[in-house]
This record gives sequence, structure tokens and C-alpha cells, in this order.
Amino acid sequence: MRPEPPDIPAPAEPISTVEAARRVGVAPSTLRRWVEQDLFTDGPVDGQWPPTAIAHARIVARLRDRGHSLQEIRTATHEGRLAFGYVEELLPDTTGVYTLREAARRTGLAPKLIERIFAAVGFPTGSADSLSEFDMEMLEHISAVLGAGFPLMALMQLIRVYGQSVAQVADAEVRLFHLYVHEPLLREGVPGIEMAEQMNDLTARLLPLASPVMDHVHRRFLHHFVEQDIVGHMESDLGTAGAELGRLRVAIGFADLAGYTQLTEQQGDLEAAGVVERFVANVADTLPEDARIVKTIGDEVMVVSTDPAALTDWAVGFQTLVSGTTLPRIGVHAGEVVYRDGDYYGREVNLASRVAARAGAGEVLVTRAIVEASGRHLAFEYIGEVKLKGFDEVTELFLAGLPEE
Amino acid sequence: MGLEFESDKQFRDAMDLVFRLMDEDPDMGPKLRDADVPQRFEFEDVDMVLNVRSSRQGEPGNLHWEWTDDVDWEPKVKMKMSAETAVRYFQGKENIPIAIARRRIKTGGDVKASLALIPITKPVYAIYRDALEERYPHLVV
Repeated sequence: MRPEPPDIPAPAEPISTVEAARRVGVAPSTLRRWVEQDLFTDGPVDGQWPPTAIAHARIVARLRDRGHSLQEIRTATHEGRLAFGYVEELLPDTTGVYTLREAARRTGLAPKLIERIFAAVGFPTGSADSLSEFDMEMLEHISAVLGAGFPLMALMQLIRVYGQSVAQVADAEVRLFHLYVHEPLLREGVPGIEMAEQMNDLTARLLPLASPVMDHVHRRFLHHFVEQDIVGHMESDLGTAGAELGRLRVAIGFADLAGYTQLTEQQGDLEAAGVVERFVANVADTLPEDARIVKTIGDEVMVVSTDPAALTDWAVGFQTLVSGTTLPRIGVHAGEVVYRDGDYYGREVNLASRVAARAGAGEVLVTRAIVEASGRHLAFEYIGEVKLKGFDEVTELFLAGLPEE
Repeated sequence: MGLEFESDKQFRDAMDLVFRLMDEDPDMGPKLRDADVPQRFEFEDVDMVLNVRSSRQGEPGNLHWEWTDDVDWEPKVKMKMSAETAVRYFQGKENIPIAIARRRIKTGGDVKASLALIPITKPVYAIYRDALEERYPHLVV
């Protein structure tokens, strides 16, 4: 069943320019001038002002009081920045005060390298031309890490991962704030000034939390992965001996929900998103210690482990624990992959994905590499040699499961 | 080397301890009560059975458990395991899907209902290890 749409209050009666001016606290002629100056995206129609336009006019009035020009307000309005403009007041000043040449001199990094670093982080092109004090601090840290002997190739990958991850965090913060704070206030018809103040207050409380939380989560994960790496070196069933630099031997699992598209059609996007959220949470809650979720794409989860037997056992055990109309289908394969920018690439990753795509609802399909690494407690039913999409050679596939008692 | 219990009573005390910790925990207790999943644990090697359910209206606490099959409710989830696996599991040292695949845990009934309990009971791992350290340090894994 589709979820009920949220209650949206009926639009209020339009208001005359004189009354609107009274509510905003400016002269009617001022309001008319603002309209002529194109400061509204949703302005008055036939001299009648909708409440949203009055709310916007209040924000314009406030900005004018604070010394912003009509040109600035017009640009901000049309760029859609106005609703979130208050956030910028809470963020540190990132105005550029150093040239690229000055930055290079101070940090000891070549100008070209600084440009590469900015591109790797994901900053817009040309942003390395003018650098703020915070940019300089970041570059000095990077310079120190390079000076300590960390390879540039690895550092650039790390910087790309930082950029992508933190960009995702910032994007999520703004989007979730918009969806769950800004939108509900708009729907409630909260006046602009009051809304801006509420959002300002909430943002001011949230922002100082973000860095300590990320710092703590980062440290916790570092601890976990350092331990895992040490144990992996000692116990890895696959080993990395013989693998080229930057390549790893791992077990790769892909799991998705069979019938997800149909579920979305039948129950709507929100309900289907809830099913995916529970599925991903169930995977995360039950994975063995040496496995981790690399990424999720829609309803698909990619998992990597240094222990192919444990990952396969998990997959078989997980299938016994799940229920519902949309059962997972899981494919597991093992091989040598390229590790780059926090992700895993290569033929073996593609193969694992194709194996999963061949699995049916509730099934675990595996390759011979997995059968050979797994214990005898599992049953492997030979499916046959299968030509997987995009591969010239056939792949032997097996259905993994619990043996009959 | 495996865990060694000094007596069957010690194992039972160690299990009572973990259920008491979950029952009394202000976060886990109410969540487990609301989840309302009656479970039957059979500890094969010590020949003991524990049935646990949510507390009923008027009963104290959040969970009610009895060391017998002679109970007036039906379990929803049934799990068979050794005493050692049980103590390891509640310390977070036994991964449920892997234990099922490796036959260290045998399941029956609506085993799917137990999936919802995994995230709820995770906080007990650390608390239980601390409590065991104090009372039965040789059972800490």
C-alpha cells in the first residue's frame, strides 16, 4: 500500500500590498520596488501576496537591514541560496587570501601538486588560485605526511577518499536538514523570519557536533581496521604474497533484494526504501568481523572479506535468517583485486557481481574458488559452466547451502 | 582450549546472569519486551533447557525465563547449542549466521524472528564480559 501523503495546510487567502507591507514592516512602495527589482521567485500576482512571498519579503528586509545590496539578494534568491543563507554565517570564513605561489612557498608543495590535491579532494576547478587560512593548514598537514615518507600515490588516493566521503556527509547533512527541518517548516507555513531563526538555532546547535562525532567515528573505525589488518596478515586464508603492489586477494560478495523493482512498483518508493534500509542494517549487524560493507548501490550491497570461508558461511547462514517477500540473492567469489580510492576494482569484482545477478531469491551462488576455500560443513550443488554476461570464458557455478540432516 | 564450567550450576548461573543483565538494562530490557519473541534454548551437552518470554502484564521486569520445558507458552524461536557456544555468543564471540552454517547453532521455529533481536542484544556483549570478569573470569573469551 502506498503511504498517505503528508498533510499540507490549505493555502491562506492572498493579501494586498498594503497589508503585506504592514506585516513585513516596510513601506508599500519599498515592496513594489523589490518586485520591480526581481527579488522574488514566487511574488505577488495581480497585487495579491501569497504568504510565502511575505515570508520571503521579511527575509529580504532583514538582509537589507544587515547591509546586503539588492543585487546580492537578487542573485541569492535566484540561486536558491536564500533559504540556507543563514548557515553560511555559522561557517568559518574561507575567503582566499593566499595565491597559489604563496601557498607553494609556505608549504613546500609544488603548485602543480597543490592543484592536483585540490582536484583530488573534489574542490571546483580554479579554487587553488586563491587559498584561505584553512586551505593552508590542510596543505601543511599534507606536506608533513609526505615529508614523513608516506608515498604520494597512496596519499592521493587517501585524499580522494576523504573528499568523496566528507562531501557525502556534507551533502547528507544539508539534504536531510532540508527534508526534515526546512520542508516541514515550509509546510506548516511558519513565517520566514521565525523559520530562519528556528533553523539558525538548530544549525548552530548541530554544527559543533559534526566534527567531534566524525572524529570519534573515524578513530573507532581506525582502531577496528588496524586490528583487522594485523589479524588479516597473520591469518588470511588467501594471503597477499605474490600479489602486485596495490592488489589484494579477497573474497567479494554481492547481495541484493530479488523483486525489489516490483516491490517499489507495488508499495511505493518510501516503503521500498524502508525495506532496503532494514536489509542493509541486517547485513551490517550480522557480518563477521573480517568482512565489511564496501558500498551500497540502491538495494545492492557489496561486501569484502579476507576470509572466503567465513564470508560464504555468513551468506548461507544469513539466508536462513531472512524473511519477507523480497528475499536476498547472494553471489560470492574470491580473487585478486585492485584496491584504489577506498574501493575494489577488477575482473574478479565484476565476476562476483555477475554471479550474484545469476542467483535466485534466497540463494547463495559461488564460484570454484569459494568451494575450494570453504569447509565441508556446507553443501555445494554443481550448477554447471555458465557464460556470464561480459565474460568470454565460462564460469563454474555452485549453489551453496546447508547439507540435509 | 574450550571453556570449562566447574559445574552445571555454574553454567546456569552464568546464563541467569546474562538474562538478568538484559532484563534490567534500561535500553535492552524494554526493547526485548516489546519485540515479544519467546525463545527456547536447548544446551545439549549439559542437558538443560531455558525458555524465555516477555514479561506479562503485572509481572516484574521485562523478561521472564524458566529452566524447564514445562511452561504455559509456546516458543517462537528454538535454538540448540552447547553451553560453551551460548556463553561465547553472549560475549559477542559467536557470529549467528556463521554458527548456523557451521552447525554450532541449530535452529527451529520462526528463526527469522531472531534476526530482529541481534541488534537489540548487542550491547549486552561488553556488559556481560565485565560481569563475567568479576564473577567467573575463566569464562571470559
